[in-house]
Amino acid sequence: MFHNSSQRRYWTFNREDELEKKRYNANQKFRMKAKESGKPGLSESVFLERHEEDVLFRHYERRLLDFCNAFKPAMPKSVVGTAAMYFRRFYLNNSIMEYHPRIIMLTCAYLSCKVDEFNVSSLQFVGNLLQETPAGQERVLEQILEYELLLIQQLNFHLVVHNPYRPMEGLLIDLKVREPRVSEESADDFLTQAAMTDAGLLFSPSQIALTAILTAMTLFSSSVFSYLTECLGLREDKETLSKMYDLMRRMKTLLKKYELPKPEEVNVYKQRLERIHAELNTSSKKDPFRVNMHRTGYRALLPLRYRSLLHTQTQFTPTQA
Amino acid sequence: MEQYSLLGRIGEGAHGIVFKAKHIEKQETVSLGWSKVALRRLEDGIPNQAVREIKALQEIEDNQHVVKLKDVFPHGTGFVLVFEFMLSDLSEVIRNSQRPLTPAQVKGYMMMLLKGVAFLHRNDIMHRDLKPANLLISSSGHLKIADFGLARLFTDQQDRLYSHQVATRWYRAPELLYGARKYDEGVDLWAVGCIFGELLNSSPLFPGENDIEQLCCVLRVLGTPTQQSWPEMVELPDYNKITFKENPAIPLEEIVPDTSPHAIQLLYKFLVYPSKQRCSARQALLHPFFFTPPLPAHHSELPIPQRGGRPPRQRLQAPPTDFSVDLPMENSLVDPALLQGHASCL
Repeated sequence: MFHNSSQRRYWTFNREDELEKKRYNANQKFRMKAKESGKPGLSESVFLERHEEDVLFRHYERRLLDFCNAFKPAMPKSVVGTAAMYFRRFYLNNSIMEYHPRIIMLTCAYLSCKVDEFNVSSLQFVGNLLQETPAGQERVLEQILEYELLLIQQLNFHLVVHNPYRPMEGLLIDLKVREPRVSEESADDFLTQAAMTDAGLLFSPSQIALTAILTAMTLFSSSVFSYLTECLGLREDKETLSKMYDLMRRMKTLLKKYELPKPEEVNVYKQRLERIHAELNTSSKKDPFRVNMHRTGYRALLPLRYRSLLHTQTQFTPTQA
Repeated sequence: MEQYSLLGRIGEGAHGIVFKAKHIEKQETVSLGWSKVALRRLEDGIPNQAVREIKALQEIEDNQHVVKLKDVFPHGTGFVLVFEFMLSDLSEVIRNSQRPLTPAQVKGYMMMLLKGVAFLHRNDIMHRDLKPANLLISSSGHLKIADFGLARLFTDQQDRLYSHQVATRWYRAPELLYGARKYDEGVDLWAVGCIFGELLNSSPLFPGENDIEQLCCVLRVLGTPTQQSWPEMVELPDYNKITFKENPAIPLEEIVPDTSPHAIQLLYKFLVYPSKQRCSARQALLHPFFFTPPLPAHHSELPIPQRGGRPPRQRLQAPPTDFSVDLPMENSLVDPALLQGHASCL
């Protein structure tokens, strides 16, 4: 149920500037850390500004969706939606300069398959990276598994995502009877576009679905107003009605604002992103990026037969991308 | 992790070792379930079981009869689940009680179990592995459902296939034993029936030693299913693989002797072949069984065996644990030659 979900409690925000503030803070946090590290290559001139980060974010988000949509066996929509939402949630509190979106996006897709019970083996999963050689695929898999825990942690262990696809199905069943001309396709398109905006962080899935349907209806000049007042019984409830109109307006503006990232911009910013990540990978002694995940706490308590397992695991180094 | 001081080892849980610990600031005793990635199936990362448990527990509101996940945090290459501390579990209660539980006590446990199950089902969660060892008992005598490693959010979508290798064998519903891949919360209600029988008898109702014998056990008591008693049976994957000698049902009064008619009546409502006909947890709570004397015991009147003091408990009851979702089914089947006395295989 959405109303008591972690999505509603922790991942739905009131205003867009709250989101921007979080992203700004993540950007600042990275700059601080970078300066502390004392690496000569990490200077103001290479850092990405917020709007530059956004361009790259949208670029990698597109790549994530392309990867999911070309996935074999075909990935259900909800799995794709969940992956895209994880990606958005992750970079709400983290900068792309700190964690490379190339690997985070794949980790999001991998985790979303697991959580949504779309069962593919890890090898099957990386087998979908067609441009990679088998050896390359294995390397990517290793990275995905390294980042999986970090991702879950950054999602605050809130794994269930409510997508607008099911509420839309329900609305469509109802609407088909009244207004057979409304095409599912145009409503679907709306949801696809909405997935590439902050809509999922600001509105409930049913609000998004309803707006999609009503937008599709206006294409056929059917009366949205009478649908809301008659079918949804909002005639008497002026307050809810005006709230509905308001949020629909906000959502549509959000979608209109979306711009495809321009290839020439992407290329310029990407070069800087790669420089930053290359710099991060060079080791230095007082490196705040190196997270040492091996603490001793439990070790002493572990029975001997488990202790050996600690040595076989790969070190958790988020900077290895 | 620094917030907790470890007090000792409790045992082994679904994902790894379980410790008793104390939150240093709050001075609150909790149990730490430590899920360590890579204990098995390193190549797939964090195990599905762990993902499912976190997923289920993060989405539900507090309920008195579901164990509360207080916190999760990463540690080493895995993460730690922090639960409220529970003294014991129902399997220990059944095993350690000097004499059979009184009817009032059985009612008390059943009521708490059904409330928990009703809550989960209302939240679209099927537990899929209900058994006495997963029903924890708090120091105040409350029963709480735990171990969500196999829990799934269920949907009404008809096309989703589920694994049939779920649930500990003795509590596994007949449709699962016939290899069903589409099933519903009825599998939990079957398990509730089995647990009910076990509370009444102080011993498991259907203690099969392997999957086929398990089916024999069920069929021996409920009678071989027919087209009338179980129309959906013919569609189950393994229906044609095995046939059993026909035998009539044994009245449950003989299986669970010295039991009130109301109890028998309620038991009959859970132990039916078609899953859809099993009584929902919510309805069951309204059964006259709970409203006729002796009334359900208050939780303070229920036994609370002490955990600890003894070495980590050996699983005396030896619940069969060969249900891993990832194993091919053949591994858990027995040589048909051993069964010739019981069944004629096709």
